[in-house]
Formats: sequence, structure tokens, C-alpha cells
Amino acid sequence: MAEAPGRLIRLHAALLGLALAALAPGTAGAAPERPPVDRPALAAALCGPPAVQGQAAEALIRAAADAETADLAWAGNILRVLTERRLACTDTGAVILDRPGAAEGADAATGASRPAAGGRVPVLGLRQRAQVETALGVVALLSARDPEARGAGLAAIERRAAGVPEAVLARAETAEADPGLKRAIMQVMQAAALSSPDPARRIGAIRAVAEAPSGAALSRLRALEADPAYGADPAFRAALDSGISRVGRAIAVGDGLAVLYNALSFASILFMAAAGLAIIFGLMGVINLAQGEFIMIGAYATYGVQELFRRLAPGAIDLYLIAAIPVAFLAAALVGIAVEALILRHLYRRPLMSLLATWAVSLFLVNGVRVALGTQNLQFRMPPYVSGGLPLYADFIVTWNRLFAIGFAAGTLALTLLILRATPLGLDIRAVTQNRDMAGCLGIRTRRVDRLAFGFGSGLAGLAGVALCPIYSVNPGMGATFIVDSFMVVVLGGVGTVLGTLVAAIGIGGANVAIEPLYGAVAAKVIVLVGIILFIQRRPEGLFPARRRR
Amino acid sequence: MSGNAETFPVPRRRDGAARLGARIARDPLVAILSAAILGIALCLVLVRPSPYLVNAAGQLAAFAILAVSLDLVWGYLGILSLGHGLFFAVGGYVCAMHLVAHAYAVTGIPPDFVQFMGWKTLPWYWAGLTNAPYALVLALGLAVLVAFVFGLASFRSRVNGVYFSIISQALVYVAMLLMFRNDTGLGGNNGMTGFSLLFGWPMGSPGVTLGLAVASLAALAAVLVGASLLVGSRTGRLMLACRDDETRLRTLGYGTTRLKLGIWCLSAAIAALAGILYVPQVGIINPRVLAPDLSIEIAVWVAIGGIGRLGGAVLGAVLVNALKFWLTAAMPEAWPFILSGLVLLVVLALPNGLLDLAALRLKPTWLRGGTR
Amino acid sequence: MSGGLAIDALSVVFGRFRALDDLSLAVDAGEVRAVIGPNGAGKTTLLDVISGITRPKSGRVMLGDLDLTQCAEAEIAKAGVRRKFQKPSVFPMLSVRENLEIGCGADLPAAARPARVTALLGDVGLSARADVTAGRLSHGEKQWLEIGMVLASEPRVILLDEPVAGLSDAETARTAALIQALRRPDRAILVIEHDMAFVEAVADRVTVLHDGRTLYEGGMAGARADARVIEVFLGR
Repeated sequence: MAEAPGRLIRLHAALLGLALAALAPGTAGAAPERPPVDRPALAAALCGPPAVQGQAAEALIRAAADAETADLAWAGNILRVLTERRLACTDTGAVILDRPGAAEGADAATGASRPAAGGRVPVLGLRQRAQVETALGVVALLSARDPEARGAGLAAIERRAAGVPEAVLARAETAEADPGLKRAIMQVMQAAALSSPDPARRIGAIRAVAEAPSGAALSRLRALEADPAYGADPAFRAALDSGISRVGRAIAVGDGLAVLYNALSFASILFMAAAGLAIIFGLMGVINLAQGEFIMIGAYATYGVQELFRRLAPGAIDLYLIAAIPVAFLAAALVGIAVEALILRHLYRRPLMSLLATWAVSLFLVNGVRVALGTQNLQFRMPPYVSGGLPLYADFIVTWNRLFAIGFAAGTLALTLLILRATPLGLDIRAVTQNRDMAGCLGIRTRRVDRLAFGFGSGLAGLAGVALCPIYSVNPGMGATFIVDSFMVVVLGGVGTVLGTLVAAIGIGGANVAIEPLYGAVAAKVIVLVGIILFIQRRPEGLFPARRRR
Repeated sequence: MSGNAETFPVPRRRDGAARLGARIARDPLVAILSAAILGIALCLVLVRPSPYLVNAAGQLAAFAILAVSLDLVWGYLGILSLGHGLFFAVGGYVCAMHLVAHAYAVTGIPPDFVQFMGWKTLPWYWAGLTNAPYALVLALGLAVLVAFVFGLASFRSRVNGVYFSIISQALVYVAMLLMFRNDTGLGGNNGMTGFSLLFGWPMGSPGVTLGLAVASLAALAAVLVGASLLVGSRTGRLMLACRDDETRLRTLGYGTTRLKLGIWCLSAAIAALAGILYVPQVGIINPRVLAPDLSIEIAVWVAIGGIGRLGGAVLGAVLVNALKFWLTAAMPEAWPFILSGLVLLVVLALPNGLLDLAALRLKPTWLRGGTR
Repeated sequence: MSGGLAIDALSVVFGRFRALDDLSLAVDAGEVRAVIGPNGAGKTTLLDVISGITRPKSGRVMLGDLDLTQCAEAEIAKAGVRRKFQKPSVFPMLSVRENLEIGCGADLPAAARPARVTALLGDVGLSARADVTAGRLSHGEKQWLEIGMVLASEPRVILLDEPVAGLSDAETARTAALIQALRRPDRAILVIEHDMAFVEAVADRVTVLHDGRTLYEGGMAGARADARVIEVFLGR
């Protein structure tokens, strides 16, 4: 122990250096001058007694905000070496070993190869380990290249956020490129500031938290109501109260937006399922009970396209959802045309029988798929454009999968209107819908129109199947989930009108989604059904009635 | 046109019994079937076949009653209900409630779902259900009430055809969702089962099984004859008129809403009766009887047998369900395909159901003249 | 006038299309009135409003003190208004006799029905076909059966929508005679028809409808001479 006094002197010098570095004011300018870390002193301090080790870690944390990245990387390395018990402390300085117990290693400060014989390998105490881990976290957050490592660093800091200088987090936040991580750093900063001993800083933090409202922010602020300062400091209390009410309002607005968004996406699916149904019903008076199964066919076609990409073009697999659009449409349309040609053609004057016939078709399709492909849910790969989302306001996140469905429905609407209004087929469909006999007299081949329209209506259901894949589970029985709601859309909207179908889909989808959180899913269905029955008391032909002549 | 205001002497009237016989004879199929049904009931009592067979006969009879109830509104009034399972379920549930309440009163063991929900006792609406006549009145009354409210709302606003069908389907679907909830006090998802006593006798004993089957067969014969008298009466002719041209009938001064509502409620009551008879024979009721598919299946029985022929409805229900009993045990995978094939065959090739097939072979005139 | 039908400022609108435009018309008791006009003039719509099938946007149809636009079809029928449709509307699954029985209405006591039906069968010339299913009748027989059903309840107002459409000359003559026989002092008869010879044979006065309005009202001879009527019928 003869040399103990000398080492202590050097240690203090090192600490002083670090402290000075920490205290040095951050110089303004494009390239702030970073004071160098005294590497030998830090290495020596880490070889010191537990209290000194801890102080060194703390000093590093304080200094980190202004340290050079190279220094940070170096410090990070030596701290890791210390935790892994590869730091040997010899009389001439610390040596980093390749593996615990090796005979020689690299000098901690210079990197020169040195024997480590007789060196003591310090063991971290529980308290010091926590301090070192925080320091490691800081270093990782500031200097790691990999965002995952930076994220892990942030997680390590979060537990002891109060001990980390704001400047460290501020520097990390400024430099951070990953938006998610940037937001997370921000939240840790706020959390740290909220429990800061400085009242002004706390009030500032409350304001900052209220600026970015979310459910988490609200619970963080609510937790402060139990803080002694809430009772003691009127300014703190006022700031907190206004913060909470502000966040509460914002959350209510955000939740409202989320309900609207969900309603719109559900309505989109309903619209796609019901549009074909309404066209077919308007044209031929046939309610197609197999429409849900055409949706299922569209979804299974999408799965088939995905598997095809997996085999043939694994590199472009994320495009499968786009490529599936025409495939699903055609698959459902072809099955629809086959059903029309083989069965429904014979039943146009007997609508109730066609109802039973389409039920038989649906039974056949469900069980056919069940036997051929099994009952399990299909697994879909989620391309980036349908996974994740954009947090827009408070807790309201614009999820891409639902946006996909909404956009898809808008595209379907445009396509349907285009086909009905601007193509010869559309003109024929409208003519036959309004007066079949007259259209027949004018030379329109009504049977051919029926077949094509049935194919088109079935194809629309197939498209709904594509849009469903990223949101709902896909299995042989999936069609039944939507079919009753789509019928209600047709009843409410009236037959043969795309506009009526759209309005009714938004109405029913909206009512379902809006009522569900309040009274539950079952009550939502009951209320919607009762609403429809009451509605048809006044308008038995739906929102947009078609005129008939006796 | 001056003569028709004067009153002519009323023509001679045949006496009551002869008229009744003549009316039944108008549809020999009904007469034959009712006789056969009663004959089968008698056979069951005398021959005492295996309880499985007795039970199957009883269940088939309950299904046939259900089919007749639907044929009454679909075949004769043109109203296709895809929600008749609701009325069947009302009857079935109330009957199950009676059986559960009765067993609870006798044994003192609370039913499973009461224990499951952690309740102390049965909910208030179970009061009095130990009393069988009250349960019967409640079952029929409730079915008629539901039918009345729904029918009034629909017929008053002239909802008919396919529209009515799909709204009635939504009705049964919503009812199913409702019954799947555990807090309804009706067994929720699992429904009610494990009935131990019927009027104090142990459930499942050969005597009770036979009694239930004979009661079902007798009820079927009564319903068949009653319905046949109804459709042969002046009201029956108005029903056909309403089915074929409702506006014409209205403009002749008939309030068709009342006519439709009356028959609709009667049909609901008959369906509820079928449910009452069905539940003690299968020993369970759960929300799956409210599945829309089951309600469509009832229409399928009627279509397969022949719409607008009461005998056809009975034959269809018996045939399809017997086939189902056999095939779901023998080759369960194949049954849905066979059923859908059967439906398509009937719908495409035999518009009057399997009675067409019989007519092809035998060509008796009384099998002709079925409708749609 | 007490048994007559007074139509007052009637307007019916389908979307943007005005089927009847502020139409007023009085049919007196004891009169046979023909309404003629080109296709789309609103003739059938007029009958639809009177018989309660279509609700007008505005205006009234008075039968005595009763405003028919406020009544359901069955109430209108019970008030004594009966209509024959353009397409013969009989109940195809019922026999001729049963059709006529239903035509008697719900209010006639059951005991009185057979006698009236027998009389009606004679009036419309279907006695020999009484037990035939109505669906198997010829087109002309269906027209007469429907007229019989309309007559069965002794109506105060009879509305006939193209009663001779699709009939042979002999059948048309027979129908004209039948309608002449329906004439009674307490009964108003409104006939829609395209066959001008038939109209001239049965009608006291004609009303010419065009675009939902009255173009001419008066005797048939006057209608033939009226320049606007000629233009509407021949000019297009």
C-alpha cells in the first residue's frame, strides 16, 4: 500500500479534469470545441476503490454531453471491459485483457501491448454496477452506430433518468436520426425534468409534456398530483392542473379522431362488400348470399399471389399485395360468372329461390376451401406500406393497414362510378336496372349484361378480400363476418345506387364503431338493426329508392 | 248489372263434419300424411323400438312442425322468413328454462350457469317458470309478441320479398349475438343442458322418450290438419291472393297488413311449439340454434319438399334431417356438399321440390298445381 | 254530383319528373269519362293516385266528403272505388268463382256471396268457366274476370285502365256493351283507353291529358277538331 497516496493524488487530478470538462460551458458555433477526456486518469479511477469507481462513472455521465465521440467510445469500451472483468489493474496502470485471466493485454490509455501479470481485476459492487451501467447507457446513446444499441442505452438511462444531465439527453435528441427513438428520448427528458428538484424546471417540463399529449403523458402528469409540491406550491399546482386538463382535452379529441378513422376503415370494407351486392340486387333482384365467400376467394387469391412471389420473386415480395389486386378481382369475378352462368341464369324470375341457390353456393365454397386448404388462419407477410403508422395527434395513430383499406375503397368507388357512368357496359347496366324489358327491346343483350355485371359485382367482393388481408384474419368462414352487415347496407342504401351504398356503409360502419366502445359490440348491432327497422318505416325503399311502374 | 244486388236463396249447406272431411280431402297428401304420422305414433307405442329410433322420430316430427310453420308464410303468403330459427329458439329457450327451474326446485342444485356467473339465485324473469302451463303460455306468447312487433314494423311499411328475408336474417343474427353473452341469465355461450326431470319423471327414461316422441307426432298431425284447414278456408284463398298480387287485393278493399300479421304470428307460435317439443328431446339448447345458417336450412327443407304444399314441407324436413342424422355420423365431411347439391338440384330442376319427382312417376292430378 | 269524383290541383313528382302537374278534373255520377293522351301523359299515374297506390305531392281527390289522398288502398276500396289494372290482375291460382268471391269484398256477408257470384258470372259471360283456375283463362277472359271482380262490390266509382288493350274486335265490342251496361245514375266511371273508336262508343266526355295537364275537356267530336289535341297525337 506504499504507493496509495500517489495514486490518490493522480485520481483526484483525473476527477478534477473530468469535472472541469463537465463544467466547461458549451461553446456556441458549428463545431463546439470538445474538451478531451483524461483517459489515463479515468482508467486509474476505475481501478480505485468502489466509491471512486462510482464517482468516475458519475463524472463521465456529467462530462458526456461535451465529450468527443472518440473519447466516449473509448470510455464505453473500458467500462464494458470493467463489467466483464477483463480490466487488470497493475502498478503501472490499467490493462485491458482479451479474456478474463489472460496474461497480457493492451494498455487502457495508450493501447500498447503490455503484460498484465500480478494485476488485480476489480469487481464492481451493486451500487457501482448501476452507476457504470448508466454511464454505459449514456455512452451508447451518444456514440453507438446501431439504433438498436442506442435504444438499449436509452432504456438503461431511463431507470435513473434524474441523475443524467439534461444536456446529455439534449445532445442525443439533436443527433438522433430515428424518429421513434427521438420521440422516446424526448419523453425520457420530460420525465427526468418532471422529477427535477428545480421547481421552475419542473413547471417547464409540465408545459412541455402537455405540448405532446398522449395517454402516457396524462398518467405521468396525474402521478404528480401525489407530489408534495402539488399541495405546497400554488404555481406548480396551477401549471399541473392546466396541463392535465389540456392533455385530457387533447386525448378526447384524439380518441374521437381514432373512432372516426376506425369507422371510416370499417365503412370502407363494408362498402366494398356491399357495392357488388347492391349492383347485383338492383340489376337482377338477386340477393347473393355467397358474396361473403367471394370476399374469401379474393383473400385466398391474395395469399396465392404472396406464395407465388415467395417462390419466384422473393426480392419483390413486398409488392405482392399490389399484384394481388387484379388477380383477386379476376378470381372472384370468374367464380361469379360461373355461378351466374350455371345457376342464377335460370332463376331470375324467382328471387327467393335464387337466394337459396346462392346459399348453397356459399355452403359449397366454404366447405370446399375448408377441405382443400384447411380451416386455419392464413399467415400474411405485412409489407412496410401496411405495417406501423403515423402518430398524428395525441393517441391517434394513422395506421397504414387501415389507410390502405380506405384508399382501396376510394379507388373501388372511383372505378365503380367510372364503369357505371362512362363505359358501354355501365350504360347497359343502368338501362337494364331501370327497365329490363325496354332495354331488351332496344337490343341490349340483357343476359350478357347480367353475366358481366354479376362478374363485376363479384370482382368487387374479391377486391374487398384484398383490402381485408392486412386487417382481419383470413379463413374459410371469414365471409360470414361481414355478410349480415353488408345486407343491412343494401337495405339502408337502396338498390342499384352506388351513392346510396356509400352513404349507408358510412352510416352503419360509423354507428357500429361509435356505439361499440360505449355499450359493447352486441348492443351496437342491436341498435343498428333497430335503427334500420325504424328507418324503413319511413323509407321502405332505402335512402335512394328506385322508381318502378306497375 | 242490375241483378246482383238482389239476394238469391242461400244454397244448401253441407253439415259440419262432412265439410271438414271434404276440406281435408282437398289435399289428399295431407290426409295421407296425417294418418301415417298417427300410425307411426301408434307403432311406437305398440312395438317399442330402440329409444334412439323413438327419439329420432320425435325430433323429426319437431322439425316437420317447424317446416310447416315456415311453409305457411312462405308457400301461402309469399313471405320468406330467414329468421324462423328465432321463434323456434324462443320456444326452445323457454322450455329449457322450465326444465331447469323445475329441476332446481326439486333437487335444490342451482344450474351450472348460475354457479358459473357467481349468482345467488336465478334472475327475476325466471319467476314462475316451474309452472308448466305458464311456461307454455310464455313461450307461445313471447314468440307471438316478437313476431307481432317485427311483423307490424315490416308489413306496415310494406317491406316484402327479398328485403324482408334479409332483415329477418339480421334479426336472428342479432338475437344470436345477444344470447352468446353470459350475462343474459340464459346460459350464454354454453346454453342450457343437463335437464334431469320432466314433470317429475327422470329425463331419458324410455317412457319419457316415448311420451315426448308421441306428443311430437301428435302435435305434428294436429298442426298439419289445422294448417290444411286454414289454407283451404276463405282466409287461405285470401293468403294465396295476397301472395300473388297484394296490391290487387288491397284495391279490392282488404287490409292485407292485418292478414299477413295474423298468419305471421300464427306461424311464429307454431315454430315456438316445435322448439318446445325439440329441446327436451335433444337435451340442450344453445345460441347456435339462432345461427342464420340454421334458419336458412328450414327454408331449404321446405324448398326441397315442395313450397306451398304442407305435405311437401313435412316430407322435406323429414327427408333432409333423416339424411343429416345418418350422414353427419357416417361421413361428416360430405354432408355440406350433399346438402348444397340437393338445394341446387331442387332449385334448378324441380321447382316444386321433390313432389315434382313423384309427379313425374305417378302423374296423379292431385300432386299438380303446386306453386313456384 | 254527390256520387262524383273531384280531383283538385293534383301534382305528382318522381324525382325531377312531374307526372301530374296541378291537374283538376271532375267526374260526375252517372257519367262515363274517358281520359286519353299520349304515353307518359300521366293517365296511369292519375289512377294510381285515386286508388291510393301513389301519394301525390299536393292536391286532393274528393269522393263526397272523403279525401282519398289521405286513405290507404283498402279504405279507398271500401269507400266504393274500384280499379281494373292495365295488365289484367287476377289471382292466377284461384278459380274464377273464388276470384269473384274475393272481389265481393270483406264486408259482404258470407251468405250473400254465392248468389252475387252467380249473377256476376252471368254478367261477364264466364258462367261456363266458373271453376277454371284463373291463370288458365285467355287474355280477354281475364279482362272480363277482372271487370267482374271490380263490379262485385257495387262500386260508386269504377276506374278502368285500358280495358280493351290486346282484345279482338269482337271482344272489344262485347266489352263496350258491358261498360254501357255498368252505367248508373249513382256511379262515376273513368276509362283510360287508346282505342278511339271504343272511347267514342262508351264515353260521354273525354279529357285529353298531356304532360300531366289537361289539354282538352269535352265531347269526342270536339277533341277530334281541336288543333292542340291533333298536334299532340299526330305531331310527334
